[in-house]
Amino acid sequence: MEKSIIAQGASFRVDEFVDKYRAIYYAGASGDFNPIHIDPEFGKMVGLGGAILQGLCTLGFTAKTLTDWLGDPGKLKKLKCRFSAPVHMEDTLTVSGTVTGVSGGRAVVALTVTNQNGIEVLKNVSAEVEA
Amino acid sequence: MGIDPKFIGKKWPPLTYEAGKEKIREFAKAIKCADPHFFDDEFAKKTKYGAVIAPPTFAVVYGAQLIEPIFYDNELNLNLTMLVHGEQEFEFYNVVKANDVLTSEATIANIANKEKLDSISIELMTKNQRGEDVCRGVYTFVVRK
Repeated sequence: MEKSIIAQGASFRVDEFVDKYRAIYYAGASGDFNPIHIDPEFGKMVGLGGAILQGLCTLGFTAKTLTDWLGDPGKLKKLKCRFSAPVHMEDTLTVSGTVTGVSGGRAVVALTVTNQNGIEVLKNVSAEVEA
Repeated sequence: MGIDPKFIGKKWPPLTYEAGKEKIREFAKAIKCADPHFFDDEFAKKTKYGAVIAPPTFAVVYGAQLIEPIFYDNELNLNLTMLVHGEQEFEFYNVVKANDVLTSEATIANIANKEKLDSISIELMTKNQRGEDVCRGVYTFVVRK
């Protein structure tokens, strides 16, 4: 049996570049074609300063970072967040996580997701994983 | 006028979604994920799941078809131009395997009226073809007034 990486205080940090067309790929995959995500002109018109990434794509990146770290996507049991600031194309997001508690075969991971200016684009981000 | 709290508990008829393998892969690519659990049939056969599985947030794909009719519900009459996604919560029970047939049902879990905004929380419960729980998702949308 491999020793679990999931112990109190264990942490990870991964950068994710949001390329120019990411919202379009995510629109195709998820079905969320809201013009605020795929049309920069529309995004400007409604005061967003251009197209913004789907919040659930940011949360998808966060989940991906977690499941890559866990090595088994089935170990992710709970995930929640508040969408606190828009993500624009060509932003660089940093996903950081720390195990804050382990009990009863489950671990709680506290996460932060920030952009290149240090602004938290998601808040109250936490996950529960199989330890 | 705010969203009427009398709609808390309102349900919509269940919808089914077949989780195709290539759709799973398309979604994994969109979140820039290269995990062989999603892409490599030979690798997947040797895992405890025995098949290609979907990333946890693939829940968005089978959930989307339930959210849309709620957005356009005449009774609820949500102001979509002022609506943003406020919060998200997922609970994952059993993984989704390629070709699983998923049945989801939507319920309005909460409606809150505040001075400057209303919020509406939609709960989606998903089961697979074996009757096992797959996912509970709570999508909270905020509507500015």
